[in-house]
Amino acid sequence: MKPAPFEYVRATQLGDALAALASDDDAKVIAGGQSLVPLMALRLARPALLVDVNDLPLDTVEVANNEVRLGSLVRHVRLERDAVVVRAAPLLAEAAALIGYPAIRNRGTLGGSVAHADPAAELPAALVALDGVVLAEGREGTRRISARDFFEGFLTTVLAPDELVVGVQVPVAAERHGASFREWAPRAGDFAVAGVAVVIELDAGGVCVSLGAAACGVGSTPVDLHEVLTDAGVLGASDVGDSLLRSTAQAAARTARGDDDREQLVGLLTAAALHDAFARARGGDASGTGVAA
Amino acid sequence: MKHRVKFEVNGEAAEIEAEPRETLLDVVRERFGLTGAHAGCEHGACGACTVLVDGAAVRSCLLFAVQCEGRSVQTIEAFGTPAALHPMQEAFRTHHALQCGFCTPAMVLTAIDMLAHSPNATETEIRAALAGNLCRCTGYAGIVDAVCSLAGREPVDS
Amino acid sequence: MIGARTLRREDPRLLTGRGSYLADHDVPGLCHIALWRSPVAHARIRSIDTAAAAALPGVVAVLTQADLDAAGARPMTHLLPIPGVQPLAWGVLAQEVVRFVGEPLVAVVAASRAIAEDAVDVLVVDYDELPPVVDVHAALEFGAPLLYPEWGTNEFLHLDYATDGLDDALARAPHVRTERFESHRIAALPLEGHGAQASFDPATGTLTVLASQQQPHQLRTVIAEVCSLSEGEVRVIAPDMGGGFGNKQHFTREECLVALLARITGRPVRWSQDRGEGLTASIHSRPQVHDATFGYDDDGRVLALSVRVVSDLGNPVLYFSGVGPSLVTVGALCGGYAIEHHGWSLSCVATTTCPVGGYRGFGQPQSHLTTERVMDLVAADLGIDPAEVRRRNLLPDAPRPFIAHGGARIDVGPLGPQLDQLLDSFQYDAWRERQRAMRDAGRYVGIGLSTLVQGTAPTQYGVAGRGGSYETAIVSVLPDGNVTVAVGSKSQGQSHETVLAQIAAEMLGTTVDRVVVRDGDTALLPNGMGTWGSRTAVMAGGAVRVAAGRVRDKMTAIAAHMGGAPTLEAVAAEAWWHAHRLPAGIEPGLSATVCYTPGRTIPIPDAAGHTSFDETFGSHMTAVAVEVCPATGDVSVLDALLVSDCGVVINPMVVEGQHQGGFAQGLGAVLYEEVRYSDDGQPQCTTLADYTIPTAIEVPRLRVVHRETHSGTEGGFRGVGEAAITAAPAALAGAVADALAPLGVTITSTRLHAHHLRALLRAAGVEPDPAAFAIA
Ligand SMILES: Cc1cc2nc3c(=O)[nH]c(=O)nc-3n(C[C@H](O)[C@H](O)[C@H](O)COP(=O)(O)OP(=O)(O)OC[C@H]3O[C@@H](n4cnc5c(N)ncnc54)[C@H](O)[C@@H]3O)c2cc1C
Ligand code: FES
Ligand code: FES
Repeated sequence: MKPAPFEYVRATQLGDALAALASDDDAKVIAGGQSLVPLMALRLARPALLVDVNDLPLDTVEVANNEVRLGSLVRHVRLERDAVVVRAAPLLAEAAALIGYPAIRNRGTLGGSVAHADPAAELPAALVALDGVVLAEGREGTRRISARDFFEGFLTTVLAPDELVVGVQVPVAAERHGASFREWAPRAGDFAVAGVAVVIELDAGGVCVSLGAAACGVGSTPVDLHEVLTDAGVLGASDVGDSLLRSTAQAAARTARGDDDREQLVGLLTAAALHDAFARARGGDASGTGVAA
Repeated sequence: MKHRVKFEVNGEAAEIEAEPRETLLDVVRERFGLTGAHAGCEHGACGACTVLVDGAAVRSCLLFAVQCEGRSVQTIEAFGTPAALHPMQEAFRTHHALQCGFCTPAMVLTAIDMLAHSPNATETEIRAALAGNLCRCTGYAGIVDAVCSLAGREPVDS
Repeated sequence: MIGARTLRREDPRLLTGRGSYLADHDVPGLCHIALWRSPVAHARIRSIDTAAAAALPGVVAVLTQADLDAAGARPMTHLLPIPGVQPLAWGVLAQEVVRFVGEPLVAVVAASRAIAEDAVDVLVVDYDELPPVVDVHAALEFGAPLLYPEWGTNEFLHLDYATDGLDDALARAPHVRTERFESHRIAALPLEGHGAQASFDPATGTLTVLASQQQPHQLRTVIAEVCSLSEGEVRVIAPDMGGGFGNKQHFTREECLVALLARITGRPVRWSQDRGEGLTASIHSRPQVHDATFGYDDDGRVLALSVRVVSDLGNPVLYFSGVGPSLVTVGALCGGYAIEHHGWSLSCVATTTCPVGGYRGFGQPQSHLTTERVMDLVAADLGIDPAEVRRRNLLPDAPRPFIAHGGARIDVGPLGPQLDQLLDSFQYDAWRERQRAMRDAGRYVGIGLSTLVQGTAPTQYGVAGRGGSYETAIVSVLPDGNVTVAVGSKSQGQSHETVLAQIAAEMLGTTVDRVVVRDGDTALLPNGMGTWGSRTAVMAGGAVRVAAGRVRDKMTAIAAHMGGAPTLEAVAAEAWWHAHRLPAGIEPGLSATVCYTPGRTIPIPDAAGHTSFDETFGSHMTAVAVEVCPATGDVSVLDALLVSDCGVVINPMVVEGQHQGGFAQGLGAVLYEEVRYSDDGQPQCTTLADYTIPTAIEVPRLRVVHRETHSGTEGGFRGVGEAAITAAPAALAGAVADALAPLGVTITSTRLHAHHLRALLRAAGVEPDPAAFAIA
């Protein structure tokens, strides 16, 4: 199980990385390598040139203008532990903690997960739920792409082959913000068979004034559940009683149409994440525990 | 094309020429004779190849040696000797945390890395931290006991 | 010393990365092998073009079976000593037809594994696809495509057995049921895959083969046969092994291939199985379907048990293949129960899937599942407690040996008291109370039981046509008083360096740290049987005990002659350095070679038509309590306890480790693991991300309680390694069935994975409530 041969270049400047990427049709970025290298070992990916971006100054976490801006090289372990991320983007911290195992999280990067676009991955779904923005850099300049438009299909995005994800941007969690990521996987650490992320914001009176939600594992891309939850009456609700949980679950389940098992899981997980999100928004503890369903 | 890589292996400066496709796992094993890192799957799914890079546990089968320029790599051979075991190794021995030993060096390194971050981890946290390292022999009880003993925890019977 | 929790002698080296596994043996000029393996389930090969592969820099040789034939390779074959087995011999590589995805066709030898894989990539193989045969029942249907048309069927072997009056007994029984129990296909998955490395020394004509192999001496025999060498010209060394679990008991094509390629190329060569090969093209285990018909009376006594066993062999191009385990299955269907009338039919069927072979438990998890499910169903049907039904059916406490159907000599201790101890230690009654209370609270808790009576230390004669029931040991006290022990068994992690040292130290009156145990090298001893079948404590332990006893007796004689109370060192020096003053008739030196057999098996039918394949039996009783989440199908083990009787316990720490590890494998098999194929024979689990063995999070603790009923073999030992892996599937299936019974779910297979349980629950009309789930 050895990769096919390839050439390698380590970029220390963004421009060099972009030039290298453009130099070869079969060039690929390597960031954490936690998705790409297994595929190469299985010879399912055979890039001719690997452009190593790990030395670019993109391991950054910044808060400005009520936005959290995260560099693409922020590793999962940092998302999980960094105090700023835990406070300002608790959903990302919770999602990151659900990824694989410590050694995977020590290497895997936010940008890599987003660019890889595995439909079962947590971070893409979390970004969609947060209505985040993907920052892409090409030789033509920077593009800001809404996460809701970024993912096109199984392992495919709107990114051009010679473009680089340089970061993502999500709104800073408000005061009465509640986030939850619930998933079901055969074993803890496995890619989820289904997962649901929910973020809500309550006003001072405890009424839900903003929400986002997305599912992973269900379609060929993260599935945006914003509309489903809105239509189900979550927006404007001040409580999630049993009947709201049930009707929301039922509506969300339909997004997994045709797959009985995923329908069941999405329904359950939506209810659970919604319930958690409300509890956390009320309790002022926006952060999740990262524990699977 | 081969690349020259300068890095540190178990505290000593090293310089090698490597093809891009050579993984750190292959390089520590074949060039440095550090065969305590094991190839259990070579696709990132078993953890048997775990080494520490700049102090953090990583899968050496998912890292190319050419990516290690300037890094410091530690393998199990840097921790304890048969005559003078590292406390983690001692705990593994005391709690019968190994049978065939194939998963063991990686398990020890993962446990060392975890306790460095959470010295008082609970049994649940310990199990979660070790979950990326498969062991087919022991059923994990001894491993969990060993790590718990160093975290100052009594393992709870289920 | 015997009975002490002696820490392991092997640990310091393994803990510090100084273990020495197969792939840790680089030598100058070492070449590596990669194989072109069939991408389809069934095909006729039209042509193989090796030119591009051979032209790659670094490629040493590209060979097909024709090349191996030209170099004098001989075919491999079964040695099944059973009439009616279909004729089958196979080349080390496939030739005209490939019959499973992964079957090897072309071998590449190159300077590195990476280059060898590059060469495999550019091989051009042209083939015509043939229809796949994946489902074992479809394979038996009239008109099914045939793997081996010359057989006229896909049935490789069919056997029937019945006691006189079985049909009558079933007809007369007050209650009769027929149920299906299926054991699904899994992989043993030792963490270190298979592998072999060989080099040929033309100067001495010796072929040295390193192999990750449980039976190095027998691999020597097979390699000598395949390579047309004498056994004296072949040395097999099994270095440290990263697990074996019965998988590495088989003598594989690849091991023989490595030996041949070392001879043909003159280079040292290695093949290290990669994980993809390990999951798809190595050895799978367990797939059997049982249709059990059982008759019982109003008291829950099972009067008759008749089982039709259909066993999927995959493509049976593997020494004793799935037939070996299947024969054990049918021999063990009554387990620890006295069932008067019994019968079975066994149909071993070839399919175009990966060969099926041995895995720890070797056919017994399947039979045990059936036996224990029968007890549970009888209990449920009659409304009698399942523990009570078991008690009523257990083998009577006397006589011993109990002679089972077919003649097996079962020598376990009294089972009634052991069951009492289980129920007591597990607090069975309290668990039943708790179960009721939790059920009232809408939680689905179930309790499962297993009362396992397990043959250990078997002869291989029944399945391999050669395989005496013995083990060889050489025990020597060296001139300085230190002790060496050499054995023909081979540890794959079972702590032999420690437990055999404990035995030798005890016999010789020295300490464990002065004993060095060596195994896994045909140069150490003339022959040996290796480690499998829970045999090493009994057979190698027995051999070490007898040999050490002989040395001790000699030391006693020398010491008496020396006078006073000489130390062991003094006696050793006397024996080796002062031979001239030894007592008359005593040879110099302190060393004994023993080929020990308990002699308690009956490998070929005696006058009564009896056979008995096991030297001694263990008895192990297990109880588990589980909770099933009706929404997600997740099974959590709330408690698990095993009362172990493996005779004299050499080292309780090691025994507990064997049980805990076996339990983890048994639990993994039913809750997390399954090897799946698509309808066209494509394996669906090709990586460790698809074949999911349990991690530290999933495996619960197993509590172990010891009892010791001495066996009649040397030292009083009984085997232990395969107990918990056999008990776990049956106990867990019983527990899950018990938990879900109120929801109308019935369990008929070992597929207790959460997604299967969800499907069963849906089929039973159970609709989980998201609100309840959210709040829980
Ligand atoms: C055992 C195991 C378990 C795992 N479990 C999970 C899990 O449960 N959930 C989960 O989400 N993931 C899981 N992963 C994958 C892990 O999260 C990866 O880290 C992540 O998917 C990819 O990030 P990376 O930095 O490693 O990317 P790489 O592997 O380096 O790259 C992945 C892809 O993205 C491209 N790419 C990387 N960075 C950029 C960039 N900045 N711009 C453009 N393209 C880029 C690469 O060219 C490549 O195609 C698991 C991995 C393993 C080995
Ligand atoms: S060998 Fe690296 S994770 Fe398995
Ligand atoms: S001790 Fe064998 S795999 Fe862990």
